[in-house]
Amino acid sequence: MSKIGVFVCHCGENISATVDCAKVAETAGNYDGVAYSVDYKYMCSDPGQNLIKSAIKEKGLTGVVVASCSPRMHEPTFRKACAEAGLNPFMCEMANLREHCSWVHEKGEATTEKAIDLVRILVEKVKYNHSLSEIKVPVTKTALVIGGGIAGIQASLDIANTGHKVILIERDPSIGGHMSQLSETFPTLDCSQCILTPRMVEVAQHPNITLYTYAELESLEGFIGNFKAKIRRKSKSLDEKLCTGCGLCTTKCPAKKIPSEFNEGLGKRTAIYVPFPQAVPNKPVIDRINCTYYIKGKCKICEIVCPTGAIRFDQEDQIMEVEVGAIVIATGFTVKQPDFFPEYGFGKYPDVITGLQFERLASASGPTLGEIRRPSDGKIPEKIVFLACAGSRDPAKGIPYCSKICCMYIAKHAMLYQHKVHGGKSYVFYMDIRAGGKMYEEFVRRAIEDDGVNYIRGRVSRIYEKNGKLIVDGADTLLNAMPVEIEADMVVLATAGVANEGAEELAQKLHISYDPYKFFAEAHPKLKPVETNTAGIFLAGACQAPRDIPESVAMASGAAVKVAGLFSQDELTREPIIAVVNRQAPPVYSSCVGCFLCISTCPYQAIEKEEIKNRNGEVIKSMAKVNPGLCQGCGTCVAFCRTKSIDIQGYTHEQMYTEVMALLNEY
Amino acid sequence: MAEFEPKIVAFVCNWCTYAGADLTGTSRIKYASNVRIIRFPCTGRIDYMLLLKAFDEGADGIIVSGCHPNDCHYTSGNFHARRRWIMFRSLCDFTGIDTERIKFSWVSAAEGAKWADIVNATVASVRELGPYTEYKKVAKYPEKEVSHG
Amino acid sequence: MDDLIKRAKELIETSAVKVVIGYEQGTGNKTRALFVEKSEDADKLIFDSRCVQNLAAYVTKKEVKEKGKMAIAATLPVMRSIIQLASEFQVNDNNLLVLGITPESKLIEFGNLVEVETFVHQYTIEIDARNKEMLDKLAKMTQAERWKFWIDELAPCFKCYACRAACPMCYCHQCTVDFNQPQWIPVPSHELGNLEWHIMRAIHLTGRCIDCDACYNACPLSIPINLLTKKMLEDAKEHFGGYQPALKGDHLMSTYKPDDKENFIH
Repeated sequence: MSKIGVFVCHCGENISATVDCAKVAETAGNYDGVAYSVDYKYMCSDPGQNLIKSAIKEKGLTGVVVASCSPRMHEPTFRKACAEAGLNPFMCEMANLREHCSWVHEKGEATTEKAIDLVRILVEKVKYNHSLSEIKVPVTKTALVIGGGIAGIQASLDIANTGHKVILIERDPSIGGHMSQLSETFPTLDCSQCILTPRMVEVAQHPNITLYTYAELESLEGFIGNFKAKIRRKSKSLDEKLCTGCGLCTTKCPAKKIPSEFNEGLGKRTAIYVPFPQAVPNKPVIDRINCTYYIKGKCKICEIVCPTGAIRFDQEDQIMEVEVGAIVIATGFTVKQPDFFPEYGFGKYPDVITGLQFERLASASGPTLGEIRRPSDGKIPEKIVFLACAGSRDPAKGIPYCSKICCMYIAKHAMLYQHKVHGGKSYVFYMDIRAGGKMYEEFVRRAIEDDGVNYIRGRVSRIYEKNGKLIVDGADTLLNAMPVEIEADMVVLATAGVANEGAEELAQKLHISYDPYKFFAEAHPKLKPVETNTAGIFLAGACQAPRDIPESVAMASGAAVKVAGLFSQDELTREPIIAVVNRQAPPVYSSCVGCFLCISTCPYQAIEKEEIKNRNGEVIKSMAKVNPGLCQGCGTCVAFCRTKSIDIQGYTHEQMYTEVMALLNEY
Repeated sequence: MAEFEPKIVAFVCNWCTYAGADLTGTSRIKYASNVRIIRFPCTGRIDYMLLLKAFDEGADGIIVSGCHPNDCHYTSGNFHARRRWIMFRSLCDFTGIDTERIKFSWVSAAEGAKWADIVNATVASVRELGPYTEYKKVAKYPEKEVSHG
Repeated sequence: MDDLIKRAKELIETSAVKVVIGYEQGTGNKTRALFVEKSEDADKLIFDSRCVQNLAAYVTKKEVKEKGKMAIAATLPVMRSIIQLASEFQVNDNNLLVLGITPESKLIEFGNLVEVETFVHQYTIEIDARNKEMLDKLAKMTQAERWKFWIDELAPCFKCYACRAACPMCYCHQCTVDFNQPQWIPVPSHELGNLEWHIMRAIHLTGRCIDCDACYNACPLSIPINLLTKKMLEDAKEHFGGYQPALKGDHLMSTYKPDDKENFIH
């Protein structure tokens, strides 16, 4: 006979405000097999957990149902508490009274009734729970870091410095990411490249880091500790071992008018190119779409001039398979492009540019060598307007969120402009100034008070050209929405930070979740900000949401320590939620008839054939067998098996059947 | 007589819809309290027999929900499920089972609002359809009537 | 079928097989299965239009299998069943020899199952006109009418499981209907239990049934349960391009395509 304990949590008032917790506990106490039932203010607190532990010991409980928040939140907590009191952790189940009941329904009898039902389902389920032991799996102590921006660089270095191997892949020809494009950084105005490039070099030279640029993830299989990743190394049309990086090819290449991605289209590059002088690795790639040879079938000037014969026109993409134990995703973000802002004339007027383009103009390594000159005619703008929230916080545009970094970089841009263009006038249109961060608010005040940047609170309705000037029509909401019209020479849009194109496909390859904006989803918004819902895969930087540099770096270090923690173990324990083929006494051995149709249902190739032989070595039975190391516990085979010969621990036929029966018999 | 309150059972996967319903909670979006969620690891685990059992035992409506195509935590459990649903639903329809009472949906972990909409829509449509008396009539086999005397 | 008798005798006499499965005259105007283990018994073998029982149902039976290598007089549906059984690892070239009987009643002995497969792939599985008409009629009914149709049709079923015994694909040792932990299908033969049993049967046969009608022919009450599997056959064609038994390759219901189409998932 089961002796089940039911523990109903008030969660402060989160549950008890709409659910009559005492009634839930009282009702549950009357169920067959329930030996103890109680409600308590905070079940997850120390005294709450002690309540469970002492009840297990004193009442000799054989099963526990904690009726509180989502099991996705606290299942590990309560299972651990049970284990500490000597009860197998898998004898503990949770009824979700908070997320699925008290928070979504009004106070009333119906809500309490529902809470009672939810508890009853789990009480009946737990009667069919079995003690399970965790599964041990080995750990491959190599990490894969995807994305070589500042977050990926930091994560790689931090992991590598703990003594573990790292494979860093970057889809562009060089690592560095957006940070390498920036001129100076807020709130200190130190030069971005000056602080970044030493780290880039460190990555390239680190004995524990293997760097593959121009490479992308092709596919991923496996699970925490034991991933198998296929990496596509895109052809650089170059033998990297022979190339010395002398750069002769890039000076002789006849295709010279290709917009430079690094300079955000404000500068030009050749078809064989190194994206920027400090690139790591500092070796060129051929952009096949723009290369004369690949277009017309002749040219090969780079091959002719190369002193080491390193050019390889016939080189193909390589697919490489690596085994890794953990993955850090640091693929960053992108900014909204011209077609998004027809009302601002972006794309139509060359002097309406993005914040990233302004970074290139302000950068000493940029197309104007750090002088603020407008793209149309190279003149120094005497009046410049900065628009915050270009796209951000605009539900009509589908981007209701705040891109977070813009307020700060706009202040920086305006400040840089004032420093570089003496006598120039700068204006910032903003909705709110969001300068939460160490020394951030002070930085913005400096821009306004010391550098004389004109901040106007209000939005801009449109921008149009008149007599060679960009007319910015806005309103000042602090002056009763008084119309403001500024004749500007140049306009900079703080365009919304958005998820990379292809983020969705990458998430699907990795089997991780993403939010409605296609940013990758963390496992918990507060307590698991660098974890994903897929064990062993972590997030760093702006692939999760718009992030500034310090945040990206902090996240990267956080992800790195998670990886290092994982790698500090030789074996991992995995939840024993796996499928099992039943065994019966000879001569039947199993109800499995060996049709093996289940093999193709398994997403993990975890089902194999098992042959049972007699003493003479003759096969007397063929049946399916689940490899516990490969099974991930989806149960797709379980629902498919005609004879119900496969069952899944934790979600068995009996448990699920019982849940349905228990629910509806009384509901 | 009080208004008919349909009994709705939801079979959902742990990774998308269960998490999505959690998000409905964290977002404090209110929805009809008629639904009871039963958690499965994956839509691939949801046995079609359980749907029949739910009707047997008196459910008026059923929600079956999991990850959107391509989003399955287990890569392809939902693809397998979808193929099975296509055939199972058709067979139910062919045998005269009211397929209007089974709502299939994809609700991701980010779609808290969608979950509330799905529940509300199902409750509203099943309320309109009324209690599933046809099924309940055949489901009342003798020993059950005795036990409920 | 003199050549069948002759060949059966040879096979038994040379011990090439231990048993030949064929048809013999039964009581009344019926035929029944014959298991030839002695050469003189082969004379009882017959073949004519009355021989519609799907003999493939025997090749998975323990009692038959245990005798040793089997030969089977196989019409087109039987050959299809055998290919399906082979794809499910229930028979193979080592334990089964196929003596094919073509739709023109000619005897062909196949060297191996690959040859059988090639032969059956010349013919597609088609639902006969009478049943097609019935399916169309049901499709035109309202859901409530269909419900009444099936509840009425299935009401007299007393779960004798003749349909299961006659079906070559129902070879499981432990049928889910016999499970009692949990009791998936109610034991008594009332409307609900009957309905669920037949739904379950149809689902288990989806993608595997080769439309031989053995279940319907075996039903003592002539309940048109074959309409359920026929409907699944029709749907498989409509949604997934159909299927036919094959030794290698994907099974309809244990695989999927990422672009499988439906119009009911919200």
